[in-house]
Amino acid sequence: MKNVQSNPNSGDGKAVTTRTTFSRETSVSLNIEADPSIVWALLTHASDVPRWNSTVTSLKGEIKEGETVELKSTLDEKRTFKLKVKEFVPEKRLVWGDNMGSRVYTLDKNSGGVLFTMSEKIGGPLFPLFAKYIPSFDESFERFAADLKKEAETIQRSKK
Amino acid sequence: MTTDQLTSVFETFRGELKSFILRMTASVQDAEDIVQETYIKANSKIETFRGESSLKTWIFSIASNLAKDLLRAKKRWPENATDIFREAALKNHQFFQEAMQIRQTSPQGNFEIKEHIAFCFTCVSKSLPLEQQLALLLKEVYGFSVKEIASILNQTDAMVKYYLHTSRSRMIEIFDHRCSLINKQGICHQCTELNGIFNPKQKAQEELVKIEMARDAQNKNKEELFDLRMKILQELDPFESGAAELQLHHLEHNRQVMEKYLDEKE
Repeated sequence: MKNVQSNPNSGDGKAVTTRTTFSRETSVSLNIEADPSIVWALLTHASDVPRWNSTVTSLKGEIKEGETVELKSTLDEKRTFKLKVKEFVPEKRLVWGDNMGSRVYTLDKNSGGVLFTMSEKIGGPLFPLFAKYIPSFDESFERFAADLKKEAETIQRSKK
Repeated sequence: MTTDQLTSVFETFRGELKSFILRMTASVQDAEDIVQETYIKANSKIETFRGESSLKTWIFSIASNLAKDLLRAKKRWPENATDIFREAALKNHQFFQEAMQIRQTSPQGNFEIKEHIAFCFTCVSKSLPLEQQLALLLKEVYGFSVKEIASILNQTDAMVKYYLHTSRSRMIEIFDHRCSLINKQGICHQCTELNGIFNPKQKAQEELVKIEMARDAQNKNKEELFDLRMKILQELDPFESGAAELQLHHLEHNRQVMEKYLDEKE
């Protein structure tokens, strides 16, 4: 576990996790030199996500507000997470989650492209009982952000 | 611009437009209808053409919108569409009888593997999201620039780049997995299988060495092999080639099979 030492919005691609008795929150942010529309398209075209994202093995459904998607990740390949899309603000903010917690993706346009931030908070009254069984998200978050940056910048630079 | 001028320019790329729409819709009837409708629409709106793009780009934009209107409500085809067609064809005696008749009597009834490669791409690319299929064909087969495609699709350059990159990556992945011409472990052999049926005296290997993509498969990377596949499409007019009637008969069969398959799945 890491303590909160660095700014989660620093854009350096390093994951930061904070813990309380009843919750855990992991965040990562990374500057991406690409148009926000490219980053948004990569994040929200569900069936294409496993192609560029090495942390997602399957993502089924349509990423639209009110829809439910089914996600399988490398963190636990046997489990399918059924996640409801709670917020969908194009090129700005996407939130999905279940009753355990929510994942928030935000895009903030800046001079070089976009600051991508992803955070997930899980918790509840019973959290202390199962906390030790939930793997760390840090490495997976860092890989997710790095994969997104690589793919988005490749597209941005493409001449084809 | 006058109607005569429009007609004269339109005729210079009518064939390209028709083949583009055929590759989008997989339907000869739809291709003919949309080309005709495009001309009528262009003629009626010619005073709105301000020359901000070329006339060809403007006309492809009208045609693309008509194709989108037609296809938006229809489901996309699955990636393994050609497996579904094969299974349906094997159960359909009449299909082979008609095909053999065309093979034996039509001047456009040849079977050529490279024609089938182009035909196969038409079916497989219909598994892409609609905008991606449009962008990919416009760029890779019909040579439009990113800016021109952005104008045709009314999208930003960035989104067009996204469509192109994603669709190309997806097609490369599918063909690498499926096509035995470029990957020995490929699961689809339909082009050589059909060659054996329609050209029983011909040796498939002798035909394959004439096709750069198949001949050089071991020495080229996936990107280069995809470019060679696109080169085959660029060089073929699906309405004018020596295999046109046979392939269009095949395409019509496949489209009908897929429509039924998708209806039944609902």
